[in-house]
Amino acid sequence: MNTKEHAVTQEEAMALGDGELSGAWKEFVSEHVEGCGECQLLSAGFRDISTELGSWKVEATPTKIEQAVLQRLREGRNGKRAGGSAWFARIPTWGKLLAAGAAAVLLVVIIGQQSYRRIEMFTRLEHGPRSLAVPSASGLAEMAEQTRAFDSYAGALKARNRASISSSLANNQPESASTPDAPMIARTVSLSMVVKDFAEARRAVDTILAKHHGYAAELNVSTSEGAAKTLQGSLRVPAGELAATLSELKALGRVENESQSGEEVTQQHADLMARLKNSRETEQRMQAILQQRTGKISDVLEVEQEIARVRGEIEQMETEQKSLEHRVEFATVNLNLADVYQAELTMPSPSVGTRLRNGVVAGLHHAGETLLGIALFFAEYGPALAIWLMTLGAPAVILWRRFKRAMAAA
Amino acid sequence: MNESKGSGDAASNGPSITDEELMAAFARGEKEAFEELFSRYQQPLYGFFRRRVPDRAHAEELTQETFLALVKAAPRYEARASLRTYLYAIAYQILKGYRRKSAFRQAFFGSSDRVKEATARDRMEAEIQLRDAIGKLERVEREILLLREYEELRYTEIAEVLGIPVNSVRSRLFRSRQALRELLAGRESRVRGTELRGIEEQA
Repeated sequence: MNTKEHAVTQEEAMALGDGELSGAWKEFVSEHVEGCGECQLLSAGFRDISTELGSWKVEATPTKIEQAVLQRLREGRNGKRAGGSAWFARIPTWGKLLAAGAAAVLLVVIIGQQSYRRIEMFTRLEHGPRSLAVPSASGLAEMAEQTRAFDSYAGALKARNRASISSSLANNQPESASTPDAPMIARTVSLSMVVKDFAEARRAVDTILAKHHGYAAELNVSTSEGAAKTLQGSLRVPAGELAATLSELKALGRVENESQSGEEVTQQHADLMARLKNSRETEQRMQAILQQRTGKISDVLEVEQEIARVRGEIEQMETEQKSLEHRVEFATVNLNLADVYQAELTMPSPSVGTRLRNGVVAGLHHAGETLLGIALFFAEYGPALAIWLMTLGAPAVILWRRFKRAMAAA
Repeated sequence: MNESKGSGDAASNGPSITDEELMAAFARGEKEAFEELFSRYQQPLYGFFRRRVPDRAHAEELTQETFLALVKAAPRYEARASLRTYLYAIAYQILKGYRRKSAFRQAFFGSSDRVKEATARDRMEAEIQLRDAIGKLERVEREILLLREYEELRYTEIAEVLGIPVNSVRSRLFRSRQALRELLAGRESRVRGTELRGIEEQA
């Protein structure tokens, strides 16, 4: 039977019997059924089924249900079993599955990220650290302008320190040389810093140098317009004051880069002293020969020439000795100061397009890292997971099928 | 049909207070209102579970659980749908949970809540065959048929309880009735065949 043969469908005829139709359509369907033997037969068949279903009686409700429910009601509405387990029971199944899935993905990503970082760390250790860029100072042109005031001040300091060193090195017996057991180390420190107040930092550098009896061997200050102010200097401070000096310098701003090195010159100094001693003895012997004046005049002249040569060598070695001992006595601090705050102010602010592009690039980078992290997770834990899946998968599938069968049968 | 409708708002004794009004009164703390609701729906709900759960004790337990869930849900109840639909929706959810747990126990521990029909001897042969025939229907179609025939829910109410479209309710109800008719017709033909063989043997 179809609507071509009947004006209404069988389902509509059934709905009429169930009292589900109303209005004009109900009348229309009713008229059709009354005049259609086939539809009447169908309706009668369904009525018979309803009658037969009515034979399935259920016994009266046991009184204990009433007792239990009303008892619970008297005890209070929040019966323990009522409504299941509070908020958790109210979460729909899809919500629980979604939360579980999200938690699993998050776990994979976190573990993957950790794997990624660990592997990256190993890679760094294997290939050495990447070069650290020194901010501001690296890109600056060498447009140095040495201030006259600073120059005079540094010159005065230099003269004073040299005088004190000369006195300590009197008789060619420097302190370091007199203690041969102590190693002679020429220390060099490089310090790159960013300061907020450049002028204040600049003054503080002078103060620190004065306080620790140091001086600036070289100092370049750049205050170019449109760029950050910078100071590049080679400071010399007494080795004993190095730690205190560094500590005070670091307090001026944020340290961007720091490196320290020490060159041991003990052997070099010992060799120099030995050669110097030999040359002096040679000079003394030739002086003695000259005083005797027993030879020809040409011999005397030759001795005098030889004495002059040896004297020249001695003076050269003494200069070298002083320089070496000065390097030991005074540590070198290569200082780079940059006024990063002003540099940022003078930088043109990036356009919206640039920022968007940067955001997209950063987003892609993060997405790539996440994907890499997930890939690393599966690379690292995949084999173990596969073993577990193979071990537990078969029983799980069997149990799941049994569960589905039982659900269908319920 | 039989005990199906709770007194609802059209019970035989014609209560002047509707289910929804009783529920609102109960939400305000009137326990007598709940007692009235309980008296209206205890038999329909027990019948609902009794026809779907093989074990009588479990049917009692689930009935009790449904009422307790209603007690707990009372403060949140909003009369957007009829209370009858709301109550059967709760009952259906509890039934689903029971079936899931039961299937889980059966799958993982091999135990089954299906009990031998202890009362089978006491039942009419026809009733047992009717139950068997109903049991052979597809699950959702069976549920629609039972909700229509025993709980006497309207198509729209069945759709709300089961969470499916009304048109699906109508078409699937039609299919389930057709299928049941065929199943019962097959049973009758078998019965007739048995009777004929008996007559022939006697002859």
